[in-house]
Amino acid sequence: MKTFAAMDVGSFETAMKIFEFSPKNGMKEITHIRRRLDLGSGTYEAGKISYDKVEEICRVLKEFTEIMKEYRVDAYKAYGTSAIRETKNTMIVLDHIRQKTGITLDVLSNSEQRFLDYKSIASKIQSFQSIIEKGTAVLDIGGSSIQISLFDKDKLAATQNMKLGVLRLRDRLLTLDTKPGKYELLLEEMIQSQLAVFKKLYLKDRNVENIIVVDDYISALVRKNFTGFSGKQMRGYIDSASYGVFVDYLRAHTDEEVAKRFDISREVVPMLFISATLLQLMTRMVGAQFIWAPGVTLCDGIAYEYAEKNRLITMSHDFEQDIVACARNISKRYMGSKRRGETLEKISLTIFDSMKKDHGMGKRERLMLRIAALLHDCGKYISLVNLGECSYEIIMSTEIIGLSHKEREIVANVVKYNHLPFEYDKRGREDSSLDEKAFLTIAKLTAILRVANGLDRSHKQKFKDFQTTIKDDKLILTVNTAADITLEKGLFQPKADFFEEVFSIRPVIKQKKVY
Amino acid sequence: MAEHDFQNPEYYTNREMSWLLFNRRVLSEARDTQIPLFERLKFLSITASNLDEFFMVRIASLKDMVHAKYSKRDIAGMTAQEQLAALNTKLHEFSALQYETYTRELLPLLRENGFCVVEKHEDLTQAQAAFADDYFEENVYPVLTPMAVDSSRPFPLIRNKTLNIGALVSKKGEKKEEEIDLATVQVPSVLPRIVQLPSGNNGEKCVILLEEIIERNISKLFLNYDIICAHPFRITRNADLAIDEDEAEDLLIEIEKQVKKRTWGEAIRLEVEAGVDRRLLKKIRKELSLEDEDIYQIDGPLDLTFLMKMYALDGFEKFKYKKYTPQPVPEFEEGESVFDVLRKGDVLLHHPYQTFQPVVDFIRTAARDKDVLAIKQTLYRVSGNSPIIAALAQAAENGKQVTVLVELKARFDEENNIVWARKLEKAGCHVIYGLVGLKTHSKITLVVRREEDGIRRYVHLGTGNYNDATAKLYTDIGLMTCAEAIGEDATAVFNMLSGYSEPLSWNALTLAPLWLKDRFLYLIDRERRIARAGNPARIIAKMNSLCDRDIIAALYEASAAGVKIDLIVRGICCLKVGIPGVSENIRVRSIVGNFLEHSRIFYFENNGHGEYYCASADWMPRNLERRVEILFPVYEPALQEKLMHILQCQLEDNKKAHLLMPDGTYKKQKISQAEAFDSQFAFCQEALKEGRKKDETKDKRVFIPEVPASEK
Repeated sequence: MKTFAAMDVGSFETAMKIFEFSPKNGMKEITHIRRRLDLGSGTYEAGKISYDKVEEICRVLKEFTEIMKEYRVDAYKAYGTSAIRETKNTMIVLDHIRQKTGITLDVLSNSEQRFLDYKSIASKIQSFQSIIEKGTAVLDIGGSSIQISLFDKDKLAATQNMKLGVLRLRDRLLTLDTKPGKYELLLEEMIQSQLAVFKKLYLKDRNVENIIVVDDYISALVRKNFTGFSGKQMRGYIDSASYGVFVDYLRAHTDEEVAKRFDISREVVPMLFISATLLQLMTRMVGAQFIWAPGVTLCDGIAYEYAEKNRLITMSHDFEQDIVACARNISKRYMGSKRRGETLEKISLTIFDSMKKDHGMGKRERLMLRIAALLHDCGKYISLVNLGECSYEIIMSTEIIGLSHKEREIVANVVKYNHLPFEYDKRGREDSSLDEKAFLTIAKLTAILRVANGLDRSHKQKFKDFQTTIKDDKLILTVNTAADITLEKGLFQPKADFFEEVFSIRPVIKQKKVY
Repeated sequence: MAEHDFQNPEYYTNREMSWLLFNRRVLSEARDTQIPLFERLKFLSITASNLDEFFMVRIASLKDMVHAKYSKRDIAGMTAQEQLAALNTKLHEFSALQYETYTRELLPLLRENGFCVVEKHEDLTQAQAAFADDYFEENVYPVLTPMAVDSSRPFPLIRNKTLNIGALVSKKGEKKEEEIDLATVQVPSVLPRIVQLPSGNNGEKCVILLEEIIERNISKLFLNYDIICAHPFRITRNADLAIDEDEAEDLLIEIEKQVKKRTWGEAIRLEVEAGVDRRLLKKIRKELSLEDEDIYQIDGPLDLTFLMKMYALDGFEKFKYKKYTPQPVPEFEEGESVFDVLRKGDVLLHHPYQTFQPVVDFIRTAARDKDVLAIKQTLYRVSGNSPIIAALAQAAENGKQVTVLVELKARFDEENNIVWARKLEKAGCHVIYGLVGLKTHSKITLVVRREEDGIRRYVHLGTGNYNDATAKLYTDIGLMTCAEAIGEDATAVFNMLSGYSEPLSWNALTLAPLWLKDRFLYLIDRERRIARAGNPARIIAKMNSLCDRDIIAALYEASAAGVKIDLIVRGICCLKVGIPGVSENIRVRSIVGNFLEHSRIFYFENNGHGEYYCASADWMPRNLERRVEILFPVYEPALQEKLMHILQCQLEDNKKAHLLMPDGTYKKQKISQAEAFDSQFAFCQEALKEGRKKDETKDKRVFIPEVPASEK
């Protein structure tokens, strides 16, 4: 049995959940501790967390360490989200926290955070798989931004981040010189314009029946106190008609009345109102029938990830497939060739797998290689000449759910150097977050992708069927094909040189003619 | 049916008047000839100490309101001024009745039974007088501090509730009226008030009160003066603490300051011996700026609380109830760990019939148990030398995480609590010194234990304080459980007490001040709706006091709808019974017995799905709105049965129960000796039987083979 603490330094609240993992009960929440700590307001505007607030974080985290001791926690993971991410002095803040509390706080990129939220949803219920088969959108409302993810069949199809977070919207409303009565209209205008773009880009004629909502305000209400608005429905579910009645109630009553009616604190009512409006606009836009609030928090996702890594629980859903499916959809949007992408994916993975001992890379790098292969030519949507640069830019500005910012940058670079000469002296761009290890990963993955690319020079998938063996510092690629591979062989030289430089192994093509 | 405004002040009794009625019920125990003589002394003593507190807190607070020109009317529509006026007459009547009881009933009876209280030092026999003078020289004189008041020496500070002797003195030889000075001396509280004298002529036991000995020897204190007269007097002062918590930088320091300040409060009552010299009275009265109505001329010894000491004197056992020893709880067999017991099922404790020991053992065991990770507890009033404090300190030393909320604001107990809090802190406990603006009155203990199959939480919830001394005198209910729903909530309670946000939802517990009042109103209203729908509906509630307007209005509404309501309210009850169309279905009874009724039990019939709750809260605004309180459900059918049994017995009690009449008075039922049923006595008998059952199996020198559970 293991005890684990998940901490989330969020923009409005700092929370910790303690979990117990056992073969019998799986993942079990022991306690959930929350402390109101508004880091978002101020930070989004000023760009920096104030000193007082950092001290406050330290104090809360210090108390959390005491509670961790109390439960004799085996391991912990602490993440900061948007407020920490968006402050200019992140590194200093993190170091200060580490010095003062002994807690290593990591910062989640938006895509990682959303992926964890998504994992937490999946962790919550057995029926997840069957729900997402029906056409489902996940609306994940955060302090700084919201994330909308769409499911196609049972895989994540698209996901988009919009800077429409609750605290951000609230701050923006406060700067507008207007009466609270006007908020509703303004809010709709602010939200509607961005949602419309999303609809055009992704929704098309997709049929969305369910909306899964993850947030800090509505979910709690839907889960505990919706008597009078929904009929005898399951805990956490509400149909869209009942939800409309609820939103009308919010509109018609004062903050005090709402706080009393739903037994919440008065100060969160404005945030509840913004969340509720977001959810309603979304429901209307996609025409969803049901709203489901699993009541998960980031902490659940953090724990799930920990359990996944340490094989403490059995997974029912393959999350890597979601990431890959997302990459496929991005490639599709930029008119990448599906077949060629898949060939490249296959060849490069075959090489990767056969060299495990020599390159020392793991599962995560394999996933990056796979995504790089799938996205290898997305830049051609913009320019066939500047393919490398354009691909790089597209990848850098497209969110790939489940990948951290660093991982995304690695993928972008691999794709870039697949087309352009490798730059030894420059580790990406000035604002890059890449360190030595990442640089080496880029080099290794580039070498593999280049070879794979070289093997399919003609784009005719001649290397559909091939084997690899390693013998005396040589990687022998044996192809079973009757086709002419003169082009591939001829142009293979420079790719092989770089590969040899990186791995000290020379790739050699051998053709076994099949007649 | 006529529409009633259930909040109409006419439907409510003023809470102070109702409190006086309660003290009157206690006094009626002192006047009850069926009760052993020394027990009656005890009851009389209780009425006196009750009255002291009433003056210090309630009368003082009303006076503050008058000074502050606070004009809001109370639940019964009275202003503070009107209340004071009404109370004044009643209080004087009450005081007179106390002393009538003492001098006319109890003293003669004592004498008849060989116990003589010498009322006046003039009545001492020669031998006794010699003894008294000797005693004065040896023991009293060294600790006295006589003080004279004249133009150069101001009136000394007379401390709250101390007994003093005031004397008029004049310089030796001078007899002029204007040369008369006031002198005072405090009757030392370090010496026993009751001084045993050599036996009287007929061999009876004789005692005299200390102030009489001092009075007799007063001339020895003011050697250069002539004593014109000397009389005892006593002052009661305003003791209500009104701490502005928002302004206090450090709560602890603030309360320490307040405790020191308390003796300096405004004087609100002066008790003097009847027949006191008018010049003396005038002088004292002027110094203390008191009104006529604040002066009580007492026909007997001041401060009857000494009777408690008299009760405790050795001998005369046949005039006292046989001492009851709280019985062992059958569920806790010896040798079995408290955790093992609780894993088998919840346990309900009924104090003082059953011993408080399992609760102490619970914490002691937890302190030593290697698998226990944390202990958390709220402490309101603890006894001196509390075994619980010791166990908590030990737990911290054993490396457990110990969190203790010590409520510093417990009235009159602050000093005591600060000492314990410091001690716990030293031992390494995490001490929370209460919450800003709220008193933490809830009684909850949480033990977190790491077991084979995961974290398990053990919880004790109670209606009474974690005080092993009062647990022998107060009737209380305790629930011990390891139910997950309650354990989770208990964790959430302590998280909230530590300043974290409320949980997203509660499983079983309901907390004041945030949710409890609404919860009660909901439960009452649910019965009303059930009755409205034509189904039988019933509420039985037992508590110490009932004076919350909203709750009473809800009860009236429920009664009007046909809900049968039985209330067992020991103390204040602002609800009136028998108002046509309003409270005809409500019956109120008050049980004043040997043990102080203190448990709060609530039963709601809920259309056949009865719900049982216990709580730390009364139905008073201060409990529901300004304190942290916990209402906890009792789920196990066997335990529900126990609670129902307790309620039923109390409803059947016709010996100690007073019934509230429509005219606002309380009456005891007239019953023959054979029909008499005393619920507290019955509970004692039951507990003895249960406890003995266990003893029988234990003491026999034969082994008893255990039978499989299925054959039992």
